[in-house]
Amino acid sequence: MQQTRTIALCGKGGVGKTSLCSLMVTELARGRRGRILAIDADPASGLAQSLGVRPIKSVDDIRKDLVAKLKGGEALTPKETLHALDYELFDALAEGDGFALLSIGRPEDEGCFCRVNSLLKDIIEDLAGNFDYVLIDGEAGVEQINRRVMKRVEHLILVSDTSAKGIGVANTIAKVANDSRAVDFRSLGLVLNRVRSADEAGEIGRRTALKLYGWLGEDELIRDYDFRGSPLTGMPDTSASVSMVRDILGKMNLLA
Amino acid sequence: MVLFDQVIREVKGTVLAMPQARALVSGPEAPWQPGGNRNIVLKEDVGLELGGPECESLSCVLWTNDLSLVSDGAITLAGPDFSECMGEQRPFARIVLAGVEGFTEDNACERHTELDLVRYDLDLKGFMIRAVSRRMNEWCRISRSALRDGFSAQVLGSSLMGLMGRKPYVRSLEMLFVTSCAGDVARLKDLTSHTARVIAAMSKMAGEMSFDCGECEYQDVCDDATDLKKMRKSIMRKGRR
Repeated sequence: MQQTRTIALCGKGGVGKTSLCSLMVTELARGRRGRILAIDADPASGLAQSLGVRPIKSVDDIRKDLVAKLKGGEALTPKETLHALDYELFDALAEGDGFALLSIGRPEDEGCFCRVNSLLKDIIEDLAGNFDYVLIDGEAGVEQINRRVMKRVEHLILVSDTSAKGIGVANTIAKVANDSRAVDFRSLGLVLNRVRSADEAGEIGRRTALKLYGWLGEDELIRDYDFRGSPLTGMPDTSASVSMVRDILGKMNLLA
Repeated sequence: MVLFDQVIREVKGTVLAMPQARALVSGPEAPWQPGGNRNIVLKEDVGLELGGPECESLSCVLWTNDLSLVSDGAITLAGPDFSECMGEQRPFARIVLAGVEGFTEDNACERHTELDLVRYDLDLKGFMIRAVSRRMNEWCRISRSALRDGFSAQVLGSSLMGLMGRKPYVRSLEMLFVTSCAGDVARLKDLTSHTARVIAAMSKMAGEMSFDCGECEYQDVCDDATDLKKMRKSIMRKGRR
């Protein structure tokens, strides 16, 4: 039994975090490399659709339900609450072929119960410990990963397209991550998306201090899948993007 | 305390009268391999799912000071054993009857909770349990490999009895399992629905310092049960001190 490998993906909206996350999950699942948990922590993303599963509820739904019960005066002991949340969280898992997905849902509204959030985070961490790989499709910033999912990840992947704005956001996230240590991580690196050539990737790599894990080209096939709303889990094993993702996973030592 | 004596008689009578009911050989605590830190069984590994969110499910612990109501060590299964339903999702009821000693209005709630929580101490390879005490339901998954290796109601029952029997106040234990059909589980749920409210009332009393019974949703339950009235008085006495 190997230790859980946790990978979080952050970056500016629209740069392809979800596609990259889906392809990584798909590649790991195809290789039957162990149990895989995908966590959709970006309320704006469609990781579930991209992976072809439909979660029946999100962590936020569970949180709201519990808060309503507590506000309604239901007397639950801490242990009862813990086990009830554990049940609900497991019920919230959408299980696909070789992976499970947990959707975090929308950010907390005002007047949230911090104790409940903290409990949920503990249970998510506990649940994650049952998996060999955990991949978190996050929002732009790393603070959300810490606040809503977990505090410790192994790899923090910053995703960007080739735009100066995208790279700028990646650099900012890296700075915040390094300075504030909002999330504990062992390694941090960049994956470029929609790159036109190896030269372009190299050029961008030289302009940033971030370690380049790899890059994905502009892929008409991904565009086509997205256009049709088809899950990326159906992407052929031989496609260029799948092959690049395999290289990235290998470079990050995640296939060992 | 006699809180559950009548329901124990009814539940036991109902299960034993089910056409598929059979006694399993109970033995010493089953030597099943522990699962370690990983206690979930994912869909791709599931051999049998019991009492899942879409099935009828019931789980409860009923205790009594009257040891004659509990046949110590007996395990009864109404319905197919686990290995006989590979690949299925089935309704599930698991009822523990416990003969206990020294339960009073001061400790009954705490001890009941302790007994209820024992299930989370189960560490059996290929077996996953999730439960919501308040709803008295239990969702179990057993992996294909565990079923192939002989995981059965006897293994589960003996393991639970082994853990519960370590509580110093437990004198005897009997286990009732039902896997036959949703109707059978639903009948038992009907029989125990009042029990659920008694337990909820007990928990509320123990967890709250408000004694405004006129406002309480469990007033009817407390008024009916002498033991709950005693419990309330005891808590109020302590509150005044």
